[in-house]
Amino acid sequence: MLSIAARLLTFMEILIASIFAGLLGSLTGLGGGTVLVPVLTLFLGIPIAYAAGAALISTISTSSGAASAYIKDKITNIRIGMGLEIATTTGSIVGSLTVAYIYSHNLEWIVYVVFGVVILMSIIPTAQRGKYEIPDPKPPDWTTKVFKLHGSYYDDALKTEVKYWGVRWWLGELIMFFAGFISGLLGIGSGALKVLGMDWAMNLPMKVSTTTSNFMIGVTAATGSSIYWYLGYIQPFIAAATAVGVLLGAMAGTKILVKITNKQVRWVFLAILAFLGMEMLLRGLYLNHLLVVPIALQYTLSLIFTAIVMVTLFYKYGLSSKVNARRGEVRG
Amino acid sequence: MHAEVRYVVKWDMDYVIGLTLRIGVVISVILILIGVVLLVIEGKGLGFYDVQIMSVRSYVNTTVIPPLTALSGLTQADGLSFIVLGLMVLIATPVLRVALGIASFAMEKDWLYVVITVVVFINLMLAIFVLPALLHL
Repeated sequence: MLSIAARLLTFMEILIASIFAGLLGSLTGLGGGTVLVPVLTLFLGIPIAYAAGAALISTISTSSGAASAYIKDKITNIRIGMGLEIATTTGSIVGSLTVAYIYSHNLEWIVYVVFGVVILMSIIPTAQRGKYEIPDPKPPDWTTKVFKLHGSYYDDALKTEVKYWGVRWWLGELIMFFAGFISGLLGIGSGALKVLGMDWAMNLPMKVSTTTSNFMIGVTAATGSSIYWYLGYIQPFIAAATAVGVLLGAMAGTKILVKITNKQVRWVFLAILAFLGMEMLLRGLYLNHLLVVPIALQYTLSLIFTAIVMVTLFYKYGLSSKVNARRGEVRG
Repeated sequence: MHAEVRYVVKWDMDYVIGLTLRIGVVISVILILIGVVLLVIEGKGLGFYDVQIMSVRSYVNTTVIPPLTALSGLTQADGLSFIVLGLMVLIATPVLRVALGIASFAMEKDWLYVVITVVVFINLMLAIFVLPALLHL
């Protein structure tokens, strides 16, 4: 038996890690899971199946808590979100069943490696997208009309009513299936892919993409969590701490998000993404004995990598973003 | 005039959906927090000791706690029971939201989106009830 203080401390440790993850997840629309799983596995030593289970459950609280605020602000496009959920829920079922096979055959390293790759790959579109706030309009196609992909919202930062419409619904669905698959496989909301599907494929404004993504994550995660529940990847004590912590972090993030422009969000987050992604990748290769590097050296390599990524991205995108931001304001 | 009435109906449904999500999360968090407080004070739950429940490599997961067993502990103020119920409520919240979405699109007579939302609901039911039953066979 432990003392009451020791029990409380165990809870607080996971809670604080979750608040941190929830804050960053909410600010970017990525969902808390992307930060939470690496933090729980790398720093708290929690098995990746439990970390994924806790993260997936927690993204429901983030999504539901944050989405209710966005629906009130009328930035979320419920139609677009619901239409794309067909693909995300189907993908999530396939992904959860795939990871069941992986865990039952002790192939955890695959999850680490895929996690690392997914994080690192989400850096580039996030950085590129930092160049502008509202996309250049593309001519509406047949899906715009059939699926009613239009809407408008009031942008607080630009101080204007933004009218928009979406295109290429089918491409959005395709990316969403993949997003759902990754969600079920890794236990994350996979908001990065959802945002990619909406702003790159469907040409929607960044704010609509991030808030609608947040709204969709809950349904996707509920699908995966149900299967995880049956498979035993949900450890109630860990999930309890993360569900509350991620929600607290996300609530703080929601308040900040409405007040700031998207560019600022990305630059803070990219550094952490680069570090966590590299670290997960190295850990996966280490577990598979492909690249046996001591843990301390892994952290050093990840830090060096982070520095290189930041410098490269700043020179490539950072300098031009200031000019474009000003142009966007004038246009607005 | 007609357009105005429809706008009011739509706003009401969005409001109800937003409220449902918020209430679901609030209930779930309250249940989880009650559970955590009870667990921290009592140091045991559903026949397991704190070291078993709180260790990072704990074997106490959702496969060793059948849903009905977990709920039976609620009357004995069992911390672990409250946590499990809270997590169940959390998963149920988006499901309820999708169900309300069907009603919302039906009220707008947007039948394409009623069908789309029903498909999403079927996927959720597959994950919650059908697939676990199939995997069990």
